[in-house]
Amino acid sequence: MNAIVRRNWLLNGIAQVGECGLFFIAILAALPKSLRYFRETCRQLWFVGAMSLIIVMTCGLFVGMVLALQLYYTLSIFGGTAALGTVVALSLFRELGPVVTALLFAGRAGTAVTAEIGLMRATDQLDAMEMMAVDPMAYIVAPRYLAGVIAMPLLMCLFNALGILGAHAVGVSWLGVDNGTFWGNMTSTVDLWRDIIDGVWKSLAFGGVVTLIAVFQGYNAPPTSEGVAYSTTRTVVFSSIVILALDFVMTAFLT
Amino acid sequence: MHTAGREALVQVRDLRTRLGDKIIFDGLSLDVPRGSVTAIMGPSGTGKTTLLRHLTGQLRADAGSVLVDGLDVAGLRRNALFGLRERIGFLFQNSALLTDFSVFENVAFPLRQHARLPETLVRTIVLTKLQAVGLRGAARLMPSELSGGMARRVALARAIVFDPMLILYDEPFVGLDPIALNQVLRLIRTLNHTLGITSILVAHELSAIRQVADRVYLIANGKLVAQGAPDQLEHQDSPWTRQFFGGEADGPVPFHYPAPDYATDLGFAP
Repeated sequence: MNAIVRRNWLLNGIAQVGECGLFFIAILAALPKSLRYFRETCRQLWFVGAMSLIIVMTCGLFVGMVLALQLYYTLSIFGGTAALGTVVALSLFRELGPVVTALLFAGRAGTAVTAEIGLMRATDQLDAMEMMAVDPMAYIVAPRYLAGVIAMPLLMCLFNALGILGAHAVGVSWLGVDNGTFWGNMTSTVDLWRDIIDGVWKSLAFGGVVTLIAVFQGYNAPPTSEGVAYSTTRTVVFSSIVILALDFVMTAFLT
Repeated sequence: MHTAGREALVQVRDLRTRLGDKIIFDGLSLDVPRGSVTAIMGPSGTGKTTLLRHLTGQLRADAGSVLVDGLDVAGLRRNALFGLRERIGFLFQNSALLTDFSVFENVAFPLRQHARLPETLVRTIVLTKLQAVGLRGAARLMPSELSGGMARRVALARAIVFDPMLILYDEPFVGLDPIALNQVLRLIRTLNHTLGITSILVAHELSAIRQVADRVYLIANGKLVAQGAPDQLEHQDSPWTRQFFGGEADGPVPFHYPAPDYATDLGFAP
């Protein structure tokens, strides 16, 4: 009995991944048509991108500040505090920027997208669009997907910028690392293609999967208040797992 | 071109559908003449809403055919289906207004999506339709500010914005107070008389149906069990019509949901 339940659970999981993949293909197929709704895409870009600015920038600042504190302590053991700027920048660009931005994005924008589409489903708005001969995949889903993929790398860049400013404030202004050493070591070691662009690839991939999970969960949410709540939770849970797992895989391949 | 003529606008032939394990339709056939108001009645759960979904191609039947204006709905490709849907208005039970948009934009939505019209013309059309449902003054309100009856009238204005040939009403009277109910009733009749729009309504309210419908189809157990004008049907001597129009609690539609033997279930059986 138990084995059967466990197998069903596993099979359902695999089936969900398959459905999600088919949904992704359906989004891609709807993308050309969604170009007609360019204004809708811009509106969504504002919702998922601009509205996430405050949380992403605040968190970036604090992550940079705490990084500088911790790394200053660690580096001072080896007498290498001059490398503070370099180490902070590399950790942010290569790892923390994409990952933390994606996690914040899942919590801030992913949930909003899931709940919005789920409620549209529950209140028959998606059916009503179908009936008005408007394809909800092109009008609702594809613009949100596009907006998520575009917004994520941009948000990550701002996260990194604020992180480095935070690290500078703590490291240089407070702990007394030399200003010239901080910037000089950073700019000479960080490589645009190897470090920064790798982070952008990661961020693009995270934007793709997080938004895919969000729209998929919303579109397939059971049309009840419990169903929408459950789908919203699943967006955060699945996104977090996939972000961290994908991060490991991508880091292994990119370095 | 489609074969528009004097034949029935909607022709359902030997429709068979099952959803999961449940048989919804088991050989249903009916015709809806052009320009008529046809009511579909039946006990809850007999698939009246499912029937409407078959007419719009949202759901495909397992067997049988649905012809709307001479077009076989199940055989249409997506573009042709969307073309057909532009000529059908659908009034959802819960109105299904787009909550992001104002009343005006909700009614303008189909126009903006399918016709490139100058803004002044859009405004004229939308205000005319809102005037027809008596809500021109509410054009700037958001859907959350409307009462249930008003929301349904806005949805009706949206459904007729393209002057459809057919309007499907899914339980248009549910949850309305007597005033709002009469307003919706009057609108259905006016639209039918003045614009010649064919209407199909799924409803339970006998008194309302008596006032508006030319013809009633009574569906039960996946089949058509009675048909005719409302007064005719009320006096028809069949167990179905007697139970349905008399509102009897028990009859061909049993009071009890199918269950194992009562005594056995309670544990009293030997």
